[in-house]
Amino acid sequence: MNDNNDVSQSNSSFSVAITGSGGSGAVTAGRIVLEAAARCGYQGLMTRSAGPQIRGGESAAMIRFAPGPVECMGNHYDLLVALDWLNIERFADEIPLTDKSLILCDPAAGDVPSQLRSNGAEIREVPFKVFASGLPEGRINMVALGAMAMVCGLQLEALEASVKQILQSKGEQVVESALRALSLGYNHDRRPMQAPLSPADQQDTWSITGNQACGVGALRGGVRFVAAYPITPASEMLEWLAPRLEKLGGSLLQAEDELASINMIIGSSFGGVPSLTATSGPGLSLMVEGLGLALVSETPVTVVNVMRGGPSTGIPTKSEQADLDIALYGLHGDAPHLVFAPLSIRDCVFTTQWAVQLAEHLQTVSLVLTDQSLGQSQAIIEAPPATEMPWRRAVEATPDRDYKRYQITADAISPMTLPGTPEGMYTADGLEHNEYGTPSSMAADHREQLNKRLNKLEGFDYGDDWAEIEGDGDECIITWGSSAGVVRESARKLKQQGREIRIIAIRLLAPLQRQKLSQALEGAHRILVVEQNHGGQLFHYLHAQGVLPKYAESLAQPGPLPLRSGRIIRVL
Amino acid sequence: MPVPALKAKDYKSGIKPVWCPGCGHFAVLAALTKAMAHLGLEKENVAVVSGIGCSSRLPAYIDSYGFHGIHGRALAAASGLKAARPDLTVVVAGGDGDGFSIGGNHFLHACRRNMDMTYIVMDNEVYGMTKGQASPTTRPTWTNSKMTPHGTGIPRFNPAAIALAAGAGFIARGYSGEPKEMTRLLVEAMEYPGFAFVQVLSGCVTFRPDQRGWKEVVHPFINDVPTRDRIKAAQIIQADEGKATGVIYASPFPVWQPDNEQVTELSLLEEEFCI
Amino acid sequence: MSDDPQIVIDSVAEFLVHALELEEASSDHYDELADSMEIHNNLKVAELFRKLGDYSRQHAKEVHARTEGIELPTITPWDFKWKCPSSPESFCMEEASYMMTIAQAMEIALFNEVRGRDFYQQVADNTANDEVRKIALEMVEEEGWHVEMLREWQTSLKEEPPLEDLDPPNMPE
Repeated sequence: MNDNNDVSQSNSSFSVAITGSGGSGAVTAGRIVLEAAARCGYQGLMTRSAGPQIRGGESAAMIRFAPGPVECMGNHYDLLVALDWLNIERFADEIPLTDKSLILCDPAAGDVPSQLRSNGAEIREVPFKVFASGLPEGRINMVALGAMAMVCGLQLEALEASVKQILQSKGEQVVESALRALSLGYNHDRRPMQAPLSPADQQDTWSITGNQACGVGALRGGVRFVAAYPITPASEMLEWLAPRLEKLGGSLLQAEDELASINMIIGSSFGGVPSLTATSGPGLSLMVEGLGLALVSETPVTVVNVMRGGPSTGIPTKSEQADLDIALYGLHGDAPHLVFAPLSIRDCVFTTQWAVQLAEHLQTVSLVLTDQSLGQSQAIIEAPPATEMPWRRAVEATPDRDYKRYQITADAISPMTLPGTPEGMYTADGLEHNEYGTPSSMAADHREQLNKRLNKLEGFDYGDDWAEIEGDGDECIITWGSSAGVVRESARKLKQQGREIRIIAIRLLAPLQRQKLSQALEGAHRILVVEQNHGGQLFHYLHAQGVLPKYAESLAQPGPLPLRSGRIIRVL
Repeated sequence: MPVPALKAKDYKSGIKPVWCPGCGHFAVLAALTKAMAHLGLEKENVAVVSGIGCSSRLPAYIDSYGFHGIHGRALAAASGLKAARPDLTVVVAGGDGDGFSIGGNHFLHACRRNMDMTYIVMDNEVYGMTKGQASPTTRPTWTNSKMTPHGTGIPRFNPAAIALAAGAGFIARGYSGEPKEMTRLLVEAMEYPGFAFVQVLSGCVTFRPDQRGWKEVVHPFINDVPTRDRIKAAQIIQADEGKATGVIYASPFPVWQPDNEQVTELSLLEEEFCI
Repeated sequence: MSDDPQIVIDSVAEFLVHALELEEASSDHYDELADSMEIHNNLKVAELFRKLGDYSRQHAKEVHARTEGIELPTITPWDFKWKCPSSPESFCMEEASYMMTIAQAMEIALFNEVRGRDFYQQVADNTANDEVRKIALEMVEEEGWHVEMLREWQTSLKEEPPLEDLDPPNMPE
């Protein structure tokens, strides 16, 4: 996996991985580093990796920070902090090192495994254990944290502030001891690895995961009811939402299964409350029949699918963008609906809000495809501004006696009555129906309602938010969802080499904005479609939609390993 | 000027049922509208939710809000609706296949979740809409379906026993041939604060013409019902052959109903992310 | 009905509520059967049930006229004093079938009308109130006329074989 074409180990960002076996505190140390970086004015990203154990296995925290937005991990790590060496080989693929990397480790933990020695990284030993055991409640991860801060040029004060913030709930004694450990590690060997990164201007920054960001977007979009069934890697969104929905006058219902959750939110939305569920691939598979019901009964619902490796149980804890096919084509019948994909953790806020409000406005199904890498990564981002969107559900509060729930209108959107409205009674139905909602198997009614459900989506003006388009080079990368981050990084690096790359990162996958996409592709004489799956799902979709020329190429790499810019640059 | 009280007939939508003439479900429809009239419900504040099957056609025939969803998921849709709209009277209707087979899991969890709604299962021991296959309540030796030519060979599902085990607080059994009594059961069920389960023996004249004989065997419970005692209720249910009618068990349990007040603004909640 | 306990109604208002309920339930019931037969394309039988529904509706109207100026009590649906499970003219639902003949439909109608007549007769027999008895007997006469009429129709019917469903429901051969 070594890329010769590497440009990441420069002064533009810093990547560190912290590994350790269960209970060693690698992840807590990672959180503190990330937050300290934020206090130093950087943006950043932390992903986690864990063994298959439910609790207590080996785990790794991977952090990258930079003066500007960080949307993906680098090709290599500048620093590996090993709290111990147990099961480290499990992470070797995920934490590529080079001869410019540094390994910080404790001589008491034993020899550096040969697998890690082979890449020529410098090894610097710090007696974590000795230092920690000299302190009451001394912890090796805090000693390591201090040493790490020195190496990567983070200010000790920023680190101390983060330690106080993150460990405060554990009591004064723990914080006090941690600060002393930090200082011991920091002062042991005062040789920074490189000149500190140039800090960016301090701005409003947030520390947030993609799952939380989707939660924020959902709430901003007006969601006040969620029903869901726990599933990796979506559960944190639900855990974040539950207490906050309560405070906002809404609620979250933990359902008995995904069949229940989708039907529950259809029920609540029928009652007039904007509703959402979150799940991952297997859950989405179970929900598909319900999606058809929502679509035909024109009951707005939003489903956030935090994708993981598939099919079947697949690789539940790792990322993959392999659910595009089911999202686009999974429903039986002619079933046009909306499919979105946030382009970064920060964009999870905007895209989820947009998806919810368009589902409400268009009275249809919105699917939001995020993935494990967005959902479970912690990011330091510029705070997303509150976005006022005009789209709401059209509610008929004073229906006349001849009220038609599914009336054919100019924009094909029929104002809906809500239970409790006199004279507006109707029965929502998964059966095909006429304008009144009365079940009908007549060809004319079927055609009329099929057209209605298609036209309301096709006729809507989605504006410029359907994609993020950057650059105007002759070489163009089309991508979607989380892959946008690594694509942008690749383009930045190529730009440093003097190659201008055009990027089209698609946020609205269905209905596909064919004309706009064709326009955006004008003049591109090389087109590469980049995505993290095995089959090239976007590539084939775009071909099926007739928007790709024959010479377009596909770069489809399945999970669980993240796409790295080195790979993309090599292909280009 | 006082609004004149609604009659049972006023709760019918005017859409003509697709049910076969003689179907027991007509009596359930009549009893339900009578119960609604008796309770003086405002039509617009009632939602009737169903899944798929002959009996699940019911919402369209009631002049209230209705949701005719997908097979087996009526209780889920109803639970979401009730969670979001506690002000509504929620009635769920369906058949034995819809509720006990494909929707079995939701039945269990609706019983234990105990949201305030009434669940009417029109049990005719057969899949009518798909033309006559065995259902979970069909006797194992019934061989009249081509799909199970030797009978199902497996014991019947006992709805009342399972409802009790799953934690339902109100369990009753009615019979389409006794609409007067069924009306009383439905009124009690709808007045019960919590999940009220009413199994209605509702014969299928087309695929189970033998059920015309039910009128000879259906009888009121001879036991002292309803009981508030779970153990006694279990004994009554297990001792009976499934054709005794009445309220079997009625015991109040805490109702699950989220009904939260907004106490903060989203912008304040978002501050937690600020560094 | 003979094995039912005695029905005693001693107030005109209470009796009229019973009569109203009986006739309205009866017309609803016939209408429902008529609708159902129409849906199943058994139009002749639908017509018969529609006609019977109209008769009951006419009766209900007449009963309603009698309630002018009388304050009517509310009777809960399960407290009506007939002892049969439904109201007297609305029984035998499950005897209906989409393939039923006029003759079979007539039998159901006759069964119901006789029960209606018998109910009024019992009220008349057991009441201590002369006014109730007077009205009840008038109703017996009307219902009796219905019964007679139905019997006449029945005898005038040509023998017709029971219809056979040439596309039977999915039953084993």
